[in-house]
Formats: sequence, C-alpha cells, structure tokens
Amino acid sequence: MDGKVADDGGGGSQKLLEEVRALVETLNKVVACYHQLSSCVGGSTDSGQLRHELRQTRERAQQLALDSRRLLTARLRDRSLAPPTRLEAELLWVSFSSSLELLHADMCKVFSVGQNFPLSSNTGVLVQTGMQGETAKVTARALSLSEPDLNEAPASMDRLEQGELEAEKARVDQMIEDMEQRVNVLRWTVEAQGPQNAEPVGSGSSLALLSVLQAEPEQHRCKRGQMFVAALVVSLAAAALLLSVGVLYLG
Amino acid sequence: MTIRNVRDHGQRYRPRMACLKKVEALVLEMQDPKSGVKSQTQRLVITTIPHAITGEDIVAWVANRFNIDAREAQSIATLMVAFGYIYPLQDHKRLIIKADTSLYRFQTPYFWPAQQWPAEDTDYAIYLAKRNIRKKGVLELYEQEHYNNLHKWMNHKWDFIVMQAKEQYRAGKERKKPDRVVFDCQERAYWVVHRPPPGTISAMDYGLERLTDPNADEVKKKKTMDYYRRIVIFTQQCIMRSRVKSSVSLGAIVKYITTCKNHDPFLAMCLPSNPWLTDDTTYWELNMPNVEIPTKMRVERWTFGFRELLSDPRGRADFRLFLKKEFSGENLAFWETCEDLKWGAAATMKDKAQQIYKTFLAPGAPRWINIDGKTMDITVKGLVHPHRYVLDAAQTHIYMLMKKDSFGRYMKSTVFKETQKKAISPEEHKFSDAQLEQNAKKRKPNLSPIVLRQREEEEKARLAASGPMDITQLCKFTAPVPHLAVYTGICEAQLSHGRERQPPSPGFPTLPNSAACPSPISVAIDSTPASERKFEGQGGSAAAQFPSIAEVPLETRVSASARGPDESQLASQKSRVALSLSRFLRRGCGNASVLASLSPKCHSAMGGRVQPLSREPLSQPQPKRIANFFQIKVDIPPECRIYPIDSEDEENECTSRVRGTVKEIICPWESITKQDQAG
Repeated sequence: MDGKVADDGGGGSQKLLEEVRALVETLNKVVACYHQLSSCVGGSTDSGQLRHELRQTRERAQQLALDSRRLLTARLRDRSLAPPTRLEAELLWVSFSSSLELLHADMCKVFSVGQNFPLSSNTGVLVQTGMQGETAKVTARALSLSEPDLNEAPASMDRLEQGELEAEKARVDQMIEDMEQRVNVLRWTVEAQGPQNAEPVGSGSSLALLSVLQAEPEQHRCKRGQMFVAALVVSLAAAALLLSVGVLYLG
Repeated sequence: MTIRNVRDHGQRYRPRMACLKKVEALVLEMQDPKSGVKSQTQRLVITTIPHAITGEDIVAWVANRFNIDAREAQSIATLMVAFGYIYPLQDHKRLIIKADTSLYRFQTPYFWPAQQWPAEDTDYAIYLAKRNIRKKGVLELYEQEHYNNLHKWMNHKWDFIVMQAKEQYRAGKERKKPDRVVFDCQERAYWVVHRPPPGTISAMDYGLERLTDPNADEVKKKKTMDYYRRIVIFTQQCIMRSRVKSSVSLGAIVKYITTCKNHDPFLAMCLPSNPWLTDDTTYWELNMPNVEIPTKMRVERWTFGFRELLSDPRGRADFRLFLKKEFSGENLAFWETCEDLKWGAAATMKDKAQQIYKTFLAPGAPRWINIDGKTMDITVKGLVHPHRYVLDAAQTHIYMLMKKDSFGRYMKSTVFKETQKKAISPEEHKFSDAQLEQNAKKRKPNLSPIVLRQREEEEKARLAASGPMDITQLCKFTAPVPHLAVYTGICEAQLSHGRERQPPSPGFPTLPNSAACPSPISVAIDSTPASERKFEGQGGSAAAQFPSIAEVPLETRVSASARGPDESQLASQKSRVALSLSRFLRRGCGNASVLASLSPKCHSAMGGRVQPLSREPLSQPQPKRIANFFQIKVDIPPECRIYPIDSEDEENECTSRVRGTVKEIICPWESITKQDQAG
C-alpha cells in the first residue's frame, strides 16, 4: 500500500493531527494489549482461544497502523507545515514508529514461541506458569468492544495463525523500513514534551498486594506492628493522662 | 540523509548462550504431569496461585534425572534460575536455588532468554515507567539511575514510553487478580535477570556476538558427500601439521629458564638496585646502550647466544670491533644495512637496495660478502624489483655465517676477554627507609625521547664519520687502482692515532674499487706493515711499491667532502691518474668521495704523497680464487679477474695485473640492455 493520499480537503491541519493522534493512541492501546496477550503464549492458559485473540488483536493493530501511516506520511511530507504543527507531527511519528517496532518484536516472539509450543500436536506440553484466567477482557479492550467476544475460536486456529504470522511480520517489517525511507524525521531533534515520570494511576497495585503477602512483608508487618504499638502507647499515654488528671481533680 | 533506526532482527548469535536450548528441553521435561516436578499452590491472603514448586523438589528431580549427587544437582538448578527459566517467589533478587521449602515458579516462554534477541532498552524503560505509575518511589536506586539515563538518551521516545506504560498498565488491569500478580512477578523476574542489580554476577554475560549461528551446522546441514569429503581433508591436514615432541619443547623451555633466570629482575635481584623500587637510577645508567664499560651481567648475557649479542648495542659494538680486527666487518655491516632496509622507510628503499648491491654484493664490490652462488642468484634476481625483504636470504646466510663462525671465535678472542675483565659488577644498594624517602623526593623525569633520539643519531653519525672501517678483502683488480685508492689506512693513522690495525699479508695487490657509486666506498687494503711504515715514515714513494688502499667508511661524507677539492690536485699530479681519472669520470663515477679518498688530507698528514698509483705488475691471480667468481655478467674486460679474497685468508699471495681499465660495478638491472647487446 503506498502512502500517497490526497489531502483531506476539509478541516485544517490541526484537525487532521487530532485524528492522527487519536489513531496513534489507539494503536498504542492495541499494541499494549497484544503485549499482554503474548505473554501467555506457551503458558498454562495457552489455547486456541488465545491464539485467536492474538490474531484478532494483531489484525486490528495492523489496520490501525496502515491508516495512521497514510495520514501521517501525508502530513509530514507537506512542507508547508508551520513549525509547531510540524513538531507535533514528528512526535506523533516517533510514537507511531516505536509502537510499530514493539508490535513487530512481539510478533516475532509470538511466532518463535508458538513454533516451540504447537497446540495442535498431541505431545505438546505447556509450561505451568500459574496463569489461570481468561484474557477475553483484554481482547475486548483491544478491539474496543464493550463486551468480550465469547465466541469459540475456530479449530486449529493456531496453525493458521502461525502460518500467517510469518508473512505478517515480514510485512510489518517492510512497513517500518518504508516509513524510514519516505519520511525524514531526525530523531535527535525530537523532544518529548511529557513528564519524565508518569503520574501514579492507582495505589492498590498487584505488586503492593504481593509485597504485603510475601515473606518480605515482614517489613510491612513490622511497620504495621510498629504503628499498632505506637497507637497502643499513645492510647495508654492518653489514658494515663486522663487518670492523672482525674486524680488531680479528685485529689 | 536518514539515520536508520537500528533494529535487531534477531540475527545475532551469542554463542555462549547456545546452551539455552538444552535448558529449555530440561524445563519442558519438568512440566510433565507424571514424571515432572510436583507442583503445589501458593497461598496468598486473598487468592491462591497454582504451579508453585519447592526448591528441594527441583533439586531432587534434577538429581534423579541425571543420576548425580545433590550438590551438582543444586548447581544445575541454580543455573536454571540464573538464566531465568525458574524464578523464586520469595527473595526475588537472589537468583539461586535454596534446597528447602522456598517456592519457585516457571517463567512463561515469552520471557525466556532468547539467543537471538537482546532485552531491549525501550522495554526496560516502559517497565520502569509502569512501576512508577503503580506507585511512585518504588524504584530502587540503580533502577532510578537507569531510568534517568534512559530518559536522557531515549528522550525522543519518551512520550511514547509513558503512553505505552499507561496503556500496558490499563491492559493489565483487565485481567483477574491472581493473573495480574503472576504477570507482575514474571515481568519483575525477567528484568532481574536481564538488568541485574549492581554487584551481582549475571548469567546473561554472553560474551561475543556473532553473525552466524555456530550451532546451525550440526542441526540442519545436510550431510552430503561433499561435506564428508571436506571433513576428511581437514582432518588429514591436521595430522600432517608438523609437531614438536613435548620433551623437546619442554627441554628448550627448561634450558631457557635455567640460563636466564638470574637475569630477570622479577625473579632475581638486579644490581645495584631496582630503580622502580628504590628510585635510584644507577642501574639504568650503568646499562645504557652505549656505555663504555658494561656490567658483568650484561656481558654474561652475551654468551647466551648470538642473538643476545647482536641485540645489545654495546655487545654489537664489541663484536664489530672484533670483526674489524678479523677483517670480516663487512658481514656485520651487511647485516645491519639489511636490517635498516627492512625497517626503514619505503621511499628510500629502492636507493638503499641499490646501494647495498653496489657495496656488498656486486662482484668487485668494496665490501664484498661471501655468500654462495645460489643465494646470490636469488638476491640479484630479486633486486630487479626490490622490496623490503629482498635481501632476506642473503641476510640469513650471513647471520648464520657469523653465528657459526665468528661468534665462536669472538668468545675466545682477546677483545671479549678484555671486555669481560673490565666489566663491572656494582655493589648492591642497601638503602634505609630514610634514604628511600629521600630518593623518592629526588626523582626527576627522564630525558625526552626526542633528545635521546637526537643523541643516538649524532652518535651514529660520529661513528660513521670516524668509523673504523674494517679492512675487507682484497679485490684483485685489474683496475687502475691508483686514482681510486683510498688510503684510509693513512687517514686512519691520522685520525685514529694508534688505533690498532692489523696489516694484511704482504703482497696483496691493491685494486681500488671502481665502484663508483654515489656512496664513496672503495676497498682499500693495507698491504703490509712495511707500507704502513713507509707511509708513516716518508709518505713518499714508498707507496709506489704497493699501492695501498684503505677503506673508507661507508658514510664518510664528511671526510669525503673534505677530500673532495683535492681531487683535481691529485689529478694534476699524476698523469696516469689523470688518464684513469678521466675515464673514471666519464663513467660517471664522478663522486668526489672516491677520488677524494686519495686523501690529500692524508697526504699532508703524512707529509708525503699518496702514491698508490704504481703500476707495478702484480702476480697472477691464483686460479683457485675463481671459485668465488660470480656468474653475473658485468661489463668487465675479459682479462680482468675479480676475486674477492676471504679476509681470513691472509696468507694469500695474489697479485693481479693492474690494468688501465676501470671496472665499473654495474647493477645487473641497469645493464641489461648492454649485456644483451654485448652478447
């Protein structure tokens, strides 16, 4: 697919950029979901269903990639862009290409792990990784569905997927190469605008849970114990004070 | 110009990690529900997670599988943990197996170490950002440092990294709680393996990266006939390689050690004291390259072998002196010039090679060296297209000659014995601590190497100028020696008062070399003591009896130029001289130096004239000399017989008829056309 496209005519470049940004963010989301799903391959939850989900996610990602690429390339080749818009476009470009690289890496890994753990063969052993649950929700998020798709995966999906994966990952690779050649974005001139550390999103994370529960939690227990003891002492002190005050009063 | 983003296509093979495949096979075996490792459930407060295994179970299984003892099984299991195939659930930072009830779990294949792909920095940055998102300030110090570094050099991607981290975090949230816990553990374990905390030994230190998989052949290559044939050839060649019996080589090592061990400052005390330890530089001063009196140890070293003698400048000087007395100095000179050619600048190589030929190799050359015909053939052929190593064969021959012959005699000679007697053996310094401190304070830097080099070159020039050129063989020449005679003997008498010189046997004809090369070299041989005496006595017509020729130092441009102006003076004196001189000049050998060597200077010094110009008929050259006659065609009149005489052979009575023609040494490559024309 070539990257040529006519300018959208309507809305200013700003609107277009917004569109592109939305696309890139969605791509990011899908790639993240793909990453989450791919970690399950070969593990205890590996199944035809998983492969199917992987496939769906991958397809969506590729589609998004194509779309964004089209628009972004058009934007960036437009030399009449004003500098601030251009900078934004470049930033988006960097994000886009990095997501695509991540996707490519994940696809390669999935492919090679999938080869070592073919589901269709009878002697296939899966590694007991401790995973149990379903990944349907992740896929739903990836596909932007409100409800997880509960349809059964078609049989021997894994072989189909494996076969296609090889071709697809070459295609993604090619896309990345093409992108590099067509658009001359100097990476060292691109400066990130966001903060270094992202704001903490949640407090009750799973690792925190883990740390509470494990052996090292002695620290936490200690802390809790200390707090408890401190509270106790404080209350005792308060009681003593009250008593002394009472005594004074009475006495 | 686009700077390509370098992506790892998984094409780099890290051979040290080739063992990973075997570990993977082992891990898969452990999964077998029947014969694998028994798993249990890990109980956490809220939930339970299956597939936890105890350390002792793992170790027992490995021991059982390979039929080994517990300790070895433990180390194998530790290796599996170190590579990241199994991760500990408690104490996650220490990647070892504890053979007790501590729990472990298998890592998901996605996070297994891969031989082709390294762990990417982008992923690491995303992981750290994710942890920051979860809870701020949870990063360890080294992780924080990594994070800051990554932020600096991956700055352009940083928006993407933060965005991706957020997305991954949210995607992770879509999973059920126990799965989330497991995933987090897995990821954490992965990064402990691939970005180990500082101070820990990482099993991921994989050494070199290669572009081809060294194990690919074993697995996939088809074993065709051709493949086996190549293997057979390879092994045959291995067998055919020459080997040395270990008894022989070990014997050589032992011998070397026993001879040299007292000379090694590491192993034995060096006298007077080791400058590096005591800050006293006497040792270096006593062992300077051109010191007058060497130390006893140094002299002893010369006895170890010829190479030791030559490589020590002082030793070489001593040897040179000895050779001068023996009249075989040309050997050493040739060897040194060859070394100069080998190591010198490429620009001057052609000229140097020519010079060397004219000086040493050509028949009738002033300092003709005695090498066999075959080597001479090879050398001359090579000199047509000279290169750095063209004189290698000749040089080796001469080296061997010196080693086998001269070296032995040197060891027994008076020169050496005197040096040995005079050699000093310094007393050992015994510094007290206070003195050591003082020495340390008095340290001063060495002379700059530039200064040293200048000094070296001055020394060389001086040596060359004053140079005791040894007397090489007589070249029985039919050339009109006279005007070409170089009376270095006289000069020498003048310059080096009392420098000893051994006169050659009487009756040696003097044939100056018509080696009219740019370098002023003429072979001059002192005929007799008588002549010497005569020279010294009168400087008169004595020389008429026997033209004596002394040799001029090779680089005696100084003296040459000094004598230069007198050339005309000389020419005017003797008609014969003039005749040959003109002929000489016509041949383009107009180098003053040669003629100048007639040394008017010596003239004055002697108070007489140099008269090598006698045309005394000399006795016929002896036939046996012809043995050394070379096959090289040069433009010589047929009557002219040139036979260099071995300098050792001093009893030789050879004469030759002095001819009117000057023999000119023509380098073969120059005279190809002439010869062709001639015949």
